[in-house]
Amino acid sequence: MSQPIRDKARELLQTRKVDCVIGYERATDGITARPLFVYDVKDVDRLIFDRTCVHNLSRYLRDRRDRMTAIVAKPCDARGINMLLNEHQLDRQKLFIIGVVCHGVDERCWGQTDTRQQARCQWCRQHVPPVYDFLVGEKPAGEPPSAGFPDIEEFEKKSPAERRAFWEEQYRACIRCNACRHSCPGCYCQECFAENLDPTWIGIRIAPAESQIWNLVRAFHLSGRCVDCGACEQACPVNIPLMLLNRKLQKDGIEFFGFEPGLSAEAVPPFATFRKDERPGGEG
Amino acid sequence: MLFFSEKSLTAWLNHLMLDRTVLAPVRGTNDLVYFQSITNSEAIFIKSQNAALSPKDWFFPRSETIMSFITKDGKTQIIPATMEKDAVIFGIRPCDARAISLIDRPFLAEPVDALYQERRNRTALVGIACVTVCQECFCTSMGSGPFDPGALDIMLTPVDSGFAVQVVTDKGKKLLEKAIIQDRELTLPKPPEVKPVPSAGVTEAMRRVFNNVYWDRVADRCIHCNICAFVCPCCYCFDVRDYKGKDRIERVRSWESCESALFTRAAGGHNPRPSKGARMRQRFAHKLLYFPEIFGELKCTGCGRCVRNCPVNIDIREIIHDVQKLARE
Repeated sequence: MSQPIRDKARELLQTRKVDCVIGYERATDGITARPLFVYDVKDVDRLIFDRTCVHNLSRYLRDRRDRMTAIVAKPCDARGINMLLNEHQLDRQKLFIIGVVCHGVDERCWGQTDTRQQARCQWCRQHVPPVYDFLVGEKPAGEPPSAGFPDIEEFEKKSPAERRAFWEEQYRACIRCNACRHSCPGCYCQECFAENLDPTWIGIRIAPAESQIWNLVRAFHLSGRCVDCGACEQACPVNIPLMLLNRKLQKDGIEFFGFEPGLSAEAVPPFATFRKDERPGGEG
Repeated sequence: MLFFSEKSLTAWLNHLMLDRTVLAPVRGTNDLVYFQSITNSEAIFIKSQNAALSPKDWFFPRSETIMSFITKDGKTQIIPATMEKDAVIFGIRPCDARAISLIDRPFLAEPVDALYQERRNRTALVGIACVTVCQECFCTSMGSGPFDPGALDIMLTPVDSGFAVQVVTDKGKKLLEKAIIQDRELTLPKPPEVKPVPSAGVTEAMRRVFNNVYWDRVADRCIHCNICAFVCPCCYCFDVRDYKGKDRIERVRSWESCESALFTRAAGGHNPRPSKGARMRQRFAHKLLYFPEIFGELKCTGCGRCVRNCPVNIDIREIIHDVQKLARE
């Protein structure tokens, strides 16, 4: 899949349609992938795409929103773009989207070849990017399976005390490096609540209470916005299963409001509207 | 050569635990290995690669109360923090021990950080030589090595059914007083091969490429999280904030990092390092340029943790290669 991406990138740079192409290249372990910013035609052959390309590149687009930019977008990245367009953070006219058909990506394990597919990918039905200007890869034949949340249903079976104990252990491991926030296309606040000084919602301590507030509020701020890309979980240096939190909120979003973020740039997200007839747990 | 059988090592550790805090690598949450205070030597897990985080946390904790203020009957009392018991860190690797000797330079320079100094004086380092290395290790290029006892009090080298013991300091000698150690012929393993990086002359090269656009290009993909600084055994930047309680105020120090946008923002909003490139460069300039110019040593020990953990593969080995190459151009 890498060659058509390189050809398109070369054409876009040569014709000056864009001045930068954001994609992936091989990382220094020779196994995993890392984001690549191509400004010069001589670098286009470094571009790759395969199952190791796990980052959500749409998180870089706000840094370049006034310049013509092309981006390699698998469905997760494209959903990130739609979410950002929806929130008026990007100018579609300045974007060229090289969409890539995706059949799942792997866990990012530095230096290891025996990695597994990310769990969330097995329940994904978005193999074709919901938005693109040029598509790489074959569209899969037949209907995709319906979105399911067997992981969340399994976790919901635990008692509140068990769930609490599980998460308390996870939050104790958190070192508050903020990699979950910075890898996410949706976490773009000018001033994050975690750094707000007046009022101070959360202190600077790297301790269980602060970590718990951080992790919970981060997840809640992405409810109805998280595009299920798993970038936060892949970035976490202490392996906190963040997608378990994020996917619970996605499941609620679908059940309560019938809404899945990032599928369209025009749909009105649940938190951007108010209807008198809507009720928690009710229809629509 | 001195020899510790596994049994007498366990007995010695159990003896140390009677009146000391003993920290050792333990398998923790999500199977990651961390240094933790142990009460039973069975919990020790040393047959793995180096721990996920170095024991830097013991000397320079992720968060600590450096003093408390209590107001009672109109008088304000200041209560400094102190350490309860002496401590031993067991199973520290040569690179992480060297990292602590590097943090000593700023923390023990005048004005001395009293809290750090107390912990340092009252803690002994019992290291274990690395008989295997990770692909991202480059300790030999950073003034250390898999068998380097330099920053330790006692060095243990794995041999058949036990460890060869090397007593490095008087503190180490004292610690071993009650230990059952034999003197016998031992064949030491060969130190493993470590892939070098061109670190010689990198300080001069950093100076030369300081204004190169290269830093902005690397910063393109940097997401400015704090992983590299927080997993680093020798990064030591912090923030201080007062926590107000009902009857007391605690002055808290927590890890911070030059990668975060707020780190250098001053009152009034001015930020001397406003761009991603400037912050990215700061991290490497501190390690490879400023610290060596002040203290004469590179502020990196080649443990490879930042390489392994960076979500976007900002690789200090590659940076050193690139900087050397750019400086020659």
